[in-house]
Amino acid sequence: MTERSYLGEFELMILLAVIQLGEEAYGVPISRELEKHRGRDVSVGSVYAALERLESKGLVSSSLGDPTPERGGKAKRYFRVTKAGLRQVHETRRVLSKLWGELPELKGERI
Amino acid sequence: MRPDEPRGVATWLLEHLVPGPRNDALAGDLLEDFRCGRSKTWYWRQVLVAIVLGVSRESRIHLGLMFFAASWAMLAPAWLRLLANSEQHFNLTERFDRMDWPWSIVSDVGFLLAANVLFIWTGMALYLIPHLWAARNLRVQPLGGGIRASLPVLVALWATLVLLPKYFLGQPVDWPAANPVVTYPVNEPGPIVRTGNSGQAAHRGSISPIKRYMAEHPPPTEAALIRKHEDWVAAQRPTTIVQTSSPSAAITDMRTAAILVRLPFFLIVLSALWGAASRFESRNHRIVD
Repeated sequence: MTERSYLGEFELMILLAVIQLGEEAYGVPISRELEKHRGRDVSVGSVYAALERLESKGLVSSSLGDPTPERGGKAKRYFRVTKAGLRQVHETRRVLSKLWGELPELKGERI
Repeated sequence: MRPDEPRGVATWLLEHLVPGPRNDALAGDLLEDFRCGRSKTWYWRQVLVAIVLGVSRESRIHLGLMFFAASWAMLAPAWLRLLANSEQHFNLTERFDRMDWPWSIVSDVGFLLAANVLFIWTGMALYLIPHLWAARNLRVQPLGGGIRASLPVLVALWATLVLLPKYFLGQPVDWPAANPVVTYPVNEPGPIVRTGNSGQAAHRGSISPIKRYMAEHPPPTEAALIRKHEDWVAAQRPTTIVQTSSPSAAITDMRTAAILVRLPFFLIVLSALWGAASRFESRNHRIVD
């Protein structure tokens, strides 16, 4: 990557979900994983929109599986994090951890 | 399979209105999730969100394309004015009318269709050639794809907006610059002189100076007034026609009729270029089958 760009919150969550799901990372499990951790409904369309952005940045790659009858004959689209994507996740984590670490604890409330 | 499976409008909208090559996978994901117990409302909400996101994303990507289509459509009234002028100059309408049926209609429609196809394809070529050249992909195939993409929309819109009113509803097509708006000055000499609110001729009194004046200066007859009015209109006509029949004046014409004339051209050029761009992108997209 020639330029450094940090990940957005939703993009980072999706990358982490894709890493966690491994070989089974496609639209439905990614959305469910996000719903489980965020505690609210996630639109599959917005997941795809973010995945397309990540793919255009070269942070994920995708491949089509075989069409199955339970999906109305539509194929699953599996996503994988690329090496550049992994680097970006580590970089974002490093920056965020540093920022969190330097944050002073406010009087009377825990952050 | 659930009995209340969303096979109808929602699925059709999803498959046809979500742009890009991924709507198949998205449709499969939604169906899989629905079969795992989601409600119909959830399915509809997902479909609508996917359409809005897809269209807004594509619009952002093709902003330049939309701007070009709008700019090219701005020239449409000028092109139509040019056509009308050449039709008048070469007396084409009369020549077509003298032909036997169905050649009269075929020639008339064919001339208009060919002229407008030429206008639309010129615009597409002006947009596509530099872009394909820049992408080092200047080949006949994508260019032909764009041209083919324009044909169904062109024929459908042409049939709806031009042929239907012209041949079936008996209304002439009112191109914006063809019927100039003539404004009359306040002191225009009118054909009929009326006095009073009722429009009746005023009763002339028997005061002698007035009587004498009327005798010396009799009021013009109605025929004379009409002739005077026609002379005045004829005197105005040359300047009015010169102003509005000019194609360059039609470019800046922003009346409602002119905007309505531009709309089909905008839609045709936009859909054709959009189709060509999508085909080009999907071929370049890295999807491993």
